[in-house]
Amino acid sequence: MERGQLGPDDVLALIREHLADILEIDESRIVRDASFADDLSADSLALIELVEVLEQELGERTVGFSFDDEDLADLETVGDAVDYVVARLNAGADS
Amino acid sequence: METTASAKRPALCAMSGQVDSCTVAIDAMGGDRAPGEIVAGALRAVDELGVRVTLVGREEEVTPLLPDPLPSAVSLLDVRDVIAMDDEPASAVRKKKDSSVVRSAQLVKDGAADAMVSAGNTGAAMASALLRMGRVKGVARPAIAVVLPVPGHHPQILCDAGATTDVTPEWLLQNAQMGREYARVRLGIDEPRIGLLSIGEEPGKGDELRKQAYELLSDVSGFIGNVEGRDFMHPEVDVIVTDGFTGNVALKTLEGALRALANVVFGLFETTDEMKKAGEVVIPKLLEAAETFDPDLTGGAVLLGVDGVCVISHGASSALAIVKAVGVAADCVAADVPSRVREAVASAG
Repeated sequence: MERGQLGPDDVLALIREHLADILEIDESRIVRDASFADDLSADSLALIELVEVLEQELGERTVGFSFDDEDLADLETVGDAVDYVVARLNAGADS
Repeated sequence: METTASAKRPALCAMSGQVDSCTVAIDAMGGDRAPGEIVAGALRAVDELGVRVTLVGREEEVTPLLPDPLPSAVSLLDVRDVIAMDDEPASAVRKKKDSSVVRSAQLVKDGAADAMVSAGNTGAAMASALLRMGRVKGVARPAIAVVLPVPGHHPQILCDAGATTDVTPEWLLQNAQMGREYARVRLGIDEPRIGLLSIGEEPGKGDELRKQAYELLSDVSGFIGNVEGRDFMHPEVDVIVTDGFTGNVALKTLEGALRALANVVFGLFETTDEMKKAGEVVIPKLLEAAETFDPDLTGGAVLLGVDGVCVISHGASSALAIVKAVGVAADCVAADVPSRVREAVASAG
């Protein structure tokens, strides 16, 4: 992925790509409103897999990028995760 | 003590031709009896199986348990963290990256070990293996395969015994495919009979999940239909397929029922002087028969669907349990279970 500021659409695309691989489902099911638990059957370990791969990939772009474990329970939908990642990226870029 | 009962257990190190080139990372800090029994078991495994082991644990706690000089087939990797039995698995694995179980999985990922064995927190072992080794391509979620004794018969496999609690019908299909392949390796059965755990034998019985799964499993070779709780440890079925929640409840129910039965039977021999005298003759035979159900002899559970070999031994594992678990790990390496699972899932489409 090219370096530069990532917007919500870029992050959504990234999450769709990795989550589809983790859950072995079609990317088309992964939309902003999709609930991790109810719509995608993503359990806590699947989310941790997603978090780790995003930290690895985005950490190369924004030094120190990481999820706060205490925040994970609040990420109920794909959109929640997109907004969270964008906010963390922006916070990292501003610091 | 090996007995005739244990002779009916799955063959350990049946493919021992490659065992001497196998290195097993052992979580020395995991388990109720760690590190003493774990280290003792690791040393015995080196002697009895010819494997190499890497003990992963706190140096100051493990080193006093090791012989001097250290056998060339034994090495120690010093770590600082330990994940406790009551730690929340996923977050503990993220926070304690220098823990014995995480570093054991990392050794496998890095190619420094061929397999890992842990008797610690089951969820942490599973999370470590999943996050470090990754999943087998095509497998959505991993499953724990447990070998259950069947008196007078070859054992039976339960898949899943607790890895993934909330599942889809498609994941139950994968549990069947993985369990079938593992039964072929572990039990040496070409065409295992596979049953879907439900609340009645007829196809329409069970909840919506089971009904949909039944349709999918109908295309799996060896599928014999629904089975019920009474079919556990029964020779009519080789692989019992279910979700991790139900599988774990069933497993613990079996353990509890067997313990209660043992208490009743052995308690009888305390009731009268006549029964005490009878016990002197009968109890040794009962104890011998009871070895069939000894969890130390089963060789642990194997995590299927991860891209490496991970054997999870029970929390109260003795040195003997670790020897058996290492033997199963070496067998899985020799049989290349991850590749066989990958091929089984891929060929099923």
